[in-house]
Amino acid sequence: MKTILSGMLRPSRIACTLWSAALLLFLSASSQAAGPFIPGGVQDDAGLLRMGERMYIEGILPSGEPMLAVVKGDIEVEGTAFTCASCHLRSGLGAVEGGVITPPTNGKTLFQPLKAYYKYVEVKSAPPRRPAYTDETLAELLRAGVDPAGNALGDVMPRYLLDDRDMAVLIRYLKSLSSELSPGATDESIRLGTVISEDVSPEFRDAMLAHIEKFVNDKNKQAGISPYRMQARRQSSYLTLSLAKWILKGPPETWRAQLEEYNRNEPVFALAGGITTGEWKPVHDFCEENHIPCLFPITDFPVVSETGWYTLYQSKGYYQEGESAARFLNGADEALKGGTVVQVVRDTREGRALSAGFEKTWLEMGHARPATVMLKPGEGLSGDFLKGLQAGEKPATVMLWDGPEAVTALKSFASSDNMPGMVFVASGYLGKSLYMLDEKAREFTYITYPFRLPEDEEKKKVYIPLVKGAEFHGDALTVMKRTYAVIPLLTRTLLEMKGNYYRDNFLDVIGMMMDMDMAPLYERLSFGPGQRYASKGCYIVQLTKGPKPVLVKKSGWVIH
Amino acid sequence: MAKPISMLLVILLSLTAFAAGVARADGPKYKRTVESYIVPDVVLVDQDGGRVTLRKLLDSDKPVIVEFIFGTCTTICPILSAGYANLQRNLGADTRKVLLVSVTIDPENDTPRVMSEYLKRYKAKPGWDFLTGTRADIDEVMRAFNAYVPNKMSHRPLTFIRATEDGRWVRINGLMSTSEFMEECRKAGIR
Repeated sequence: MKTILSGMLRPSRIACTLWSAALLLFLSASSQAAGPFIPGGVQDDAGLLRMGERMYIEGILPSGEPMLAVVKGDIEVEGTAFTCASCHLRSGLGAVEGGVITPPTNGKTLFQPLKAYYKYVEVKSAPPRRPAYTDETLAELLRAGVDPAGNALGDVMPRYLLDDRDMAVLIRYLKSLSSELSPGATDESIRLGTVISEDVSPEFRDAMLAHIEKFVNDKNKQAGISPYRMQARRQSSYLTLSLAKWILKGPPETWRAQLEEYNRNEPVFALAGGITTGEWKPVHDFCEENHIPCLFPITDFPVVSETGWYTLYQSKGYYQEGESAARFLNGADEALKGGTVVQVVRDTREGRALSAGFEKTWLEMGHARPATVMLKPGEGLSGDFLKGLQAGEKPATVMLWDGPEAVTALKSFASSDNMPGMVFVASGYLGKSLYMLDEKAREFTYITYPFRLPEDEEKKKVYIPLVKGAEFHGDALTVMKRTYAVIPLLTRTLLEMKGNYYRDNFLDVIGMMMDMDMAPLYERLSFGPGQRYASKGCYIVQLTKGPKPVLVKKSGWVIH
Repeated sequence: MAKPISMLLVILLSLTAFAAGVARADGPKYKRTVESYIVPDVVLVDQDGGRVTLRKLLDSDKPVIVEFIFGTCTTICPILSAGYANLQRNLGADTRKVLLVSVTIDPENDTPRVMSEYLKRYKAKPGWDFLTGTRADIDEVMRAFNAYVPNKMSHRPLTFIRATEDGRWVRINGLMSTSEFMEECRKAGIR
């Protein structure tokens, strides 16, 4: 064989040596993770697991090259487009989607015999559908697609072209994957947590907690009622829940240490809801590093990231409204568009988030960077600034990312000779003062509105059960409605996890969930694998004339 | 040192993998019908953010293939897209001679940026466009091709091939291997 290969490839002396080494490695197929291979010089198990995880999630070999595979018999693919996780998901528990069934590949399932089941009940008299995998039979499966019982896998499963070293790394990772229930979970209980900063008003705190506490209590009353334990567990109704309230004190810089301390003392499986007056970033970072899912925290300042994995937000908050303003303006008729785009940004979290979302999206669409004027808190808009808005023949388009002070500014805009073409404001940042907008200014003021319009919300009639002794009004009612979206999602997720209480499975299940179009406030909450912001658009609205103005849509649901 | 060894092993292993009989001689598992569709007059957005009138785009002398996918799909779409990528590889230098269109069924998430990154991942060449739009317009396109699903998670592996001659569409329901896909393309006059 060596002669033939040598003849084919005309190897140099060095390559000959390499060939011998390669053949030696090839023939010693029994060598495994604990064997002599030290890919990339990494010797410790944690290093091997990291490399295995990269193969599994990204399709990248320890060498940095993409994994190679063949799908459907003859479609050659690179592992980066066809990663293990892309079908079997991060947890390795597989999925069913579009009629394609992907079986589990986690350690617990692979390394024990696959029992025969009939209608979810084990058939003890039948032989296992396949024996437990060994490292060798698993390697054979990954390369040739044949399991130890001789069954060929479907041809959608890629056949991976892996050498022994890389195979050993991947198998080491698969052994560890979803092999033990995650912290905070047992077969029959799950501990949830919710994070509240102590400066949140009692009204908001109660509004956030009302439905989560009700859910936990209702679930616990239900647990154990069913005499059919197996079936009940499958339906998650046997599950008991507990809720830890993690109260954060002092400045946000100290939150991380407090969160770590809480988690050491009483680890939670996942966080649900949560509310702070500040940014969510310290909690986001804590969740990322500790691999703790966090479902729908109530925040307008989420971390906007392409790679964040563990926190599922309702939207990108103010950032998303800025994004939508850019998209709307990009698609607006040329006649409407102004000559230049100017951002007037109050130097606050709200102003900065709106401006960041607008600017990033506007630049991505190929436009020039907008001129930006920062306003210090308390600083007013000068007359000189208004004069400066008339650039060239067309008036400017102004993104006025300011709070209630914007109403005064808009009044002077409306009475100025240098009226802007269009002004965009954010409804949430203006709050109730939005409805005090000067009548003349309403004509050129476009408002970002991230929820269903009030009259549509009334028509939609989303059912929210009552919580005894709890009634909320105004902004607290909004907090309650926003938090309520946690409940149907959590109910379905716990059910569909089917007892596989692994944190990654929690996220995987949500990723495969049907869209929710019956949630309060939001038109549509939808995830997909890896999607982390459920509501993805915004309306652009204007106020009608007259003493009792109402909002009217000037756009569809702006998403592009 | 590690890299050449691993490359040689890949070659070796791929030879043995094929010797072990990976390829199977199953018959086609997909359903093929010939249909007539009226392409709706909607304006969609492509991966570069450009506005595209779908009817105008598809009203082409070139052969056209349409598929419905979404950017974060984990099951069907990667296979459909790998098929497109392979077809483009087989088309030679002029990949524009066949119009490949992927229409998203997750318009809210599939923004031009998401779509252009998706195409990059599959090494798409000119001639392959990924389109998004408003939910109403996307629904209309799905309905026109009798491919409507109310929810992206219930989507179907559909491929629509339109030959240049009679303007009718070959509707394929099911996943094809490259050779099956190429054979269907050949039948539709794509060389």
